Amino acid sequence: MKRRALFLTAWLGLSSILGGASMTGVAANSAANHQSDMQVMRQTEQPQNNAPVWRRYAPDGNIPPRQPGARAGVLIQASGETWRQIRNGPVTLIGGLLLILVPIVIAVFYALNGPLKLHGQPSGRLVQRFTYWERIIHWSTAITFVVLAVTGVLMFFGRYVLIPIIGYTGFSWFAALSKNVHNIVGPLFIFCVACMFVMFARENLWRRIDWEWVKKAPQVLTGKGHAPSGKYNAAEKGWFWGGVALLGLVVGISGLILDFPNFAQTRETMQIANIVHGVGALLFIAASLGHIYMGTIGTEGAYEAMRTGKVDETWAKEHHALWLDEVKS
Amino acid sequence: MARMKFLCDAERCIECNGCVTACKNEHEVPWGINRRRVVTVNDGQEGAEKSMSVACMHCSDAPCMAVCPVDCFYKTDDGVVLHDKDLCIGCGYCFYACPFGAPQFPASNASTPGGKSSDWFGARGKMDKCTFCAGGPEENGSDAEFEKYGRNRFVRRQIAGCVQKCVRPKHCSVVTATCSQIYIASAYWFAAKARKCGAGAPPMASLITMSARRSNSREADACVDSATCRGYVGGLR
Repeated sequence: MKRRALFLTAWLGLSSILGGASMTGVAANSAANHQSDMQVMRQTEQPQNNAPVWRRYAPDGNIPPRQPGARAGVLIQASGETWRQIRNGPVTLIGGLLLILVPIVIAVFYALNGPLKLHGQPSGRLVQRFTYWERIIHWSTAITFVVLAVTGVLMFFGRYVLIPIIGYTGFSWFAALSKNVHNIVGPLFIFCVACMFVMFARENLWRRIDWEWVKKAPQVLTGKGHAPSGKYNAAEKGWFWGGVALLGLVVGISGLILDFPNFAQTRETMQIANIVHGVGALLFIAASLGHIYMGTIGTEGAYEAMRTGKVDETWAKEHHALWLDEVKS
Repeated sequence: MARMKFLCDAERCIECNGCVTACKNEHEVPWGINRRRVVTVNDGQEGAEKSMSVACMHCSDAPCMAVCPVDCFYKTDDGVVLHDKDLCIGCGYCFYACPFGAPQFPASNASTPGGKSSDWFGARGKMDKCTFCAGGPEENGSDAEFEKYGRNRFVRRQIAGCVQKCVRPKHCSVVTATCSQIYIASAYWFAAKARKCGAGAPPMASLITMSARRSNSREADACVDSATCRGYVGGLR
């Protein structure tokens, strides 16, 4: 009985898909017939006037292919021009500005506030914050990310920045290297992000207490106060979910579409993937600069935490009081 | 200054694919690459069937030039768009941007109909496209040039191979008329004097879109015709 019901559903689903396909086929056919009838009429009214045919030749007109291959029947694809305008226009301009402005903002912030220092005296007692495997995964992700960011930025902006300095041949060498490194390291990065998600997701779940941190963020960030938080504070959770998880997914999927063009995806798919990848990656890089700053010179003791896996008890008490309580209990 | 443009008369083209074969033979292009192809509409319908031979249109405002990350394209004084294979990194961006599907890659399934899936990790090889039989940046007529870009007929003042082999040529001429007066000769190339055809013309694809969107009046028809014609002379206006 159960099997029969399953069969029925499958059959219904299949027939509705086929029905839909044949309906669109009929619509396309009737449009084509209309156009060819128009042309036959035109031929008698105004010989040599092929306007109805040219309309079919118009951008992305669907011409039945006579040669094998997905797009052999497309005479003119118009979306390429749209892709060019978006890529060479706002993505390059705004993305480039972002990569210049974010470091400036961080530098100004550092000049005004300096690093976040410990308020109390170091206790000398160390607490384990990151396990060996957590550090391995973090640094694998970090190194692949930096490699991808550098090679990606080089390929995206090198034409405007590096060609005037090192010339065409020199830059082409760097760009070819960048392209191949980018395409091979990319899938590795996706693997690292997946591992990182599995390892770090539980501690990054949003808790009600995190709103306290958000409310006191200006004081916390300028070193004037502390807000209680678990193993990760609200900003770290924001970077995890918005950056690593969301942007990682966006950049990863679009990157795979671009990296493996051998699954017969069309130019249109790759144009969209390219824009998504570029925008996602530029946001990812801009956000990562904030994370890198806070994890190195921005916060005293943060880099040692990820390097050695251990933090001082005073550091834990000041930055992650609730986590320290959990560890101690 | 002369500007080289391809024009194809859909009234005369019989879809023999002679131009495709001639091009492939002339340049000994890699397996799987056809620099030229013939597209047919309304197949088998009397009075409505039209064919058109298409390859690189050597656009005035070439999208491939604009998006190339290593800036490997250049334009000759005759308006021919050429590229430097030594600089090409095989990223495929020219292939995304080109309205005519001209750029192709020796190791790419995406651009080569029926090709093998050898382009893992986006390894496409160096881009190949129609050169208007004008070679490339290597020394004119050298072996290195032939190896990379095919034969340089241009420097010997010969018309392009596809044109020469077209079975239905009418005449070869240098067109000096403005675009609306152009009569198209079958699969055939000519140097068009760009008297009224300066820079700054919109790319042909958008030109055709604009015209196609107009109403169904006789004026619009004429407009589509002339815009398409302009499109096929590559944004020449």
